Amino acid sequence: MSPLRRFLRTPEAIAGAILLGALVAMALIAPLLFPGDPQAIAGPALLPPFQDWSLPLGTDRLGRDVLAELFHGARTSIAVGLAAAVAALAIGSVVGTLAGFAGGLVDEVLMRITDAFQTVPSFLLALAFVSVVGPSLGIVVIAIALGTWTGPARIARAEVLSIRERDYVASARAIGMHPLEIAFREVLPNALPPVLAMSSVIVAAAILTEAALSFLGLGDPNRVTWGGMIAEGRAVLRTAPFLSIVPGIALVLTVLGVYLAGEGIVETTAVKRGLS
Amino acid sequence: MSGFTISRRKMLAGSAMLLASTAMPALGWAQTPKKGGRLVLAADSEPRNLNPAIVASNGVFFISSKIVETLAEASFDGKDGLAPRLALSWEGVDDGLSVTFKLRDGVKWHDGKPFTSADVAFSALQIWKPLQNLGRTLFKDLASVETPDDLTAVFKFAKPTPFQLIRNALPALSSVVPKHIYEVGKIEDNPANNVPIGTGPFKFGEYKAGQYYKLTKNTDYWGKDEPYLDEIIYQVLPDRTSAASALEAEEIQLAAFSAVPLADLDRISKVPGLKVITKGYEGLTYQLVVEINHRRKELADVKVRQAIAHAIDKDFVVKTVFLGYAATATGPVPKNDPQFYTADVPTYAFDVAKANALLDEAGYKKGPDGKRFTLKLLPAPYFNETKQFGDYLRQALAAIGIDAELVNNDSAAHIKAVYTDHAFDLAVGPPVFRGDPAISTTILVQSGIPDGVPFSNQGGYKNDALDALIAKASETLDTSTRTDLYKEFQKEVAADLPLINVAEWSFISVARDTVGNIANNPRWAVSNWADTYLAG
Repeated sequence: MSPLRRFLRTPEAIAGAILLGALVAMALIAPLLFPGDPQAIAGPALLPPFQDWSLPLGTDRLGRDVLAELFHGARTSIAVGLAAAVAALAIGSVVGTLAGFAGGLVDEVLMRITDAFQTVPSFLLALAFVSVVGPSLGIVVIAIALGTWTGPARIARAEVLSIRERDYVASARAIGMHPLEIAFREVLPNALPPVLAMSSVIVAAAILTEAALSFLGLGDPNRVTWGGMIAEGRAVLRTAPFLSIVPGIALVLTVLGVYLAGEGIVETTAVKRGLS
Repeated sequence: MSGFTISRRKMLAGSAMLLASTAMPALGWAQTPKKGGRLVLAADSEPRNLNPAIVASNGVFFISSKIVETLAEASFDGKDGLAPRLALSWEGVDDGLSVTFKLRDGVKWHDGKPFTSADVAFSALQIWKPLQNLGRTLFKDLASVETPDDLTAVFKFAKPTPFQLIRNALPALSSVVPKHIYEVGKIEDNPANNVPIGTGPFKFGEYKAGQYYKLTKNTDYWGKDEPYLDEIIYQVLPDRTSAASALEAEEIQLAAFSAVPLADLDRISKVPGLKVITKGYEGLTYQLVVEINHRRKELADVKVRQAIAHAIDKDFVVKTVFLGYAATATGPVPKNDPQFYTADVPTYAFDVAKANALLDEAGYKKGPDGKRFTLKLLPAPYFNETKQFGDYLRQALAAIGIDAELVNNDSAAHIKAVYTDHAFDLAVGPPVFRGDPAISTTILVQSGIPDGVPFSNQGGYKNDALDALIAKASETLDTSTRTDLYKEFQKEVAADLPLINVAEWSFISVARDTVGNIANNPRWAVSNWADTYLAG
């Protein structure tokens, strides 16, 4: 059975795949469907949804097209989610591998640093970082990665601790490979799978954190973000609730999709391991 | 309305309310002032320094004006738009070198000591002139204050100072604090800055950070039978969306300074028992202004500035950003000012084609991507409306090929970026017009202001003719000549556009209809509330 078919065996995975597929499709076709600036003023302000079919989801307080903003917001969410997850996994696995493979003092120092980061709530860390450096998309990605790399680091270290005692590592040592080369070419690739299993959780968390930062006014103001849309809509929550509800639903579905797909992957790998 | 008895009058009042709720939501009916009661209202900020003599700003006045009084207050029908407070009369001498104040008799400080002219002299010379944010420029030529007796204070100026200006400044700049409290130690560190002592109708009661300020009735107040209220509680509600629900839940009875978002007013005006009041802020006009950094070579060109002015649809801004609760601006003096405003200035109609033509003429042709140049745009974070206008301005500039990149900062970072570091190309600011252009308006365009002075010309603009005009007006004593000079000033600013005035707005109060005597002067929210009462 191919991995894809095995993946699609569980209903959660199918639902997750559909949701994620829809999200990716939204992000990809956004510039085709809504060319130009999604923040351009397209019609009268505060038009309710389903009134005017050229603006199906209505308009916000300045008369911007909510549907166009929603599609372009998907791009931001995906970009931030993926970039933050890649950054967090990269930092985490490098730190974890170094700590686990070198052992001794290096291990102590790196793990205490990891502990220090882990004790600070990751959202507070992101909040503090963005308010000091100033909001822009790159900074938001770094801020989120700063708070999430510790999980991958600990898992990578635990894996490396067991792998480094294996025979093939000993033989690599025996043929005189440089320790760093052994760490990153022999050990890290084998330690990665359990670390990667965390990626879905990290992506979901990153999307939520980005939305929360934007909601607090610390997102990139030059890009549409769902969190920013909710924050904008909050001022008129009682008179135009759709402005907050629409991006809110999009956010819920996205996070749900990422989570379900992640569960599916875990199931698939578990089944594979069980069979082998 | 207490009890369950139904009287004819109450029935009438009730049916009048029903009618009113459909036609005129803000309609009230005659009530007789009643003593007692506790007024709970929303406060959206918590100023640490509550001394209005040092920090003359509306956030501080909102609380401290009930405790510390000024020499005179703004008034709808008083002579020169003033009503007496601590001073009973004020008289200028024709040479502009002295102003005589006759003070109120029998006024006592909250600690029981008598209020005298020595307190006025001390406040003026030791605080307003050297320390106050606005007084520093206005009272810079104040040489001495003579006190021939306990109830007379004569201000002596080293250079002629227009009496009209002093008069216009009285409501905001003349908070009198007790000499016997402040003469000990450093004024800036005096504990009374946090626990103010004044002569006003209310005494400072208690402050719990993040929760409330409590003011209690001054039983020894000079006003006959005043104040009516026993207590005022400022409930700290930093979240603007919570004020409306707190009003509906009857947790608070008043939300001033537009604590209820404009978009919610239409809905809340239909809630029985609540009224929306647009009066009472006439003396506190805020101006929506595009501040320009003239150090950018593109923006130093008047054609580019004119193009930007033509690109802004002021009617759209008033209608969409302010939902109609504002007026379009023509220049640096707001339309509602009775003394100085002139409509006879160059205007910039919304005209994208003309704006594009002006930019082409200035030599900034559109590139292949449709962009001429990129600017950094910093909207001030103090109001929802300034932030929203920032979003609008970005779109308006995009339509004429200027790519504006928004930079959001918190209040402290915004002030530093714009007024100290000059790290902006365009900024959106909300300066306040305080009844006379010389108080806080000319400073927005005159040159030679040191770096770091907030709400002043930090855009590097220098226009010798305009500077000369401002200097001349500041020493012109004759009221009508002075007024004419400021009309000239408005024309010059509108022509050369050191900054672009977009709109003028004020605030909205929402109150339960039991709160009486609301909005009975042009600075009501920041006046002393001695006659405010709670009916029923």
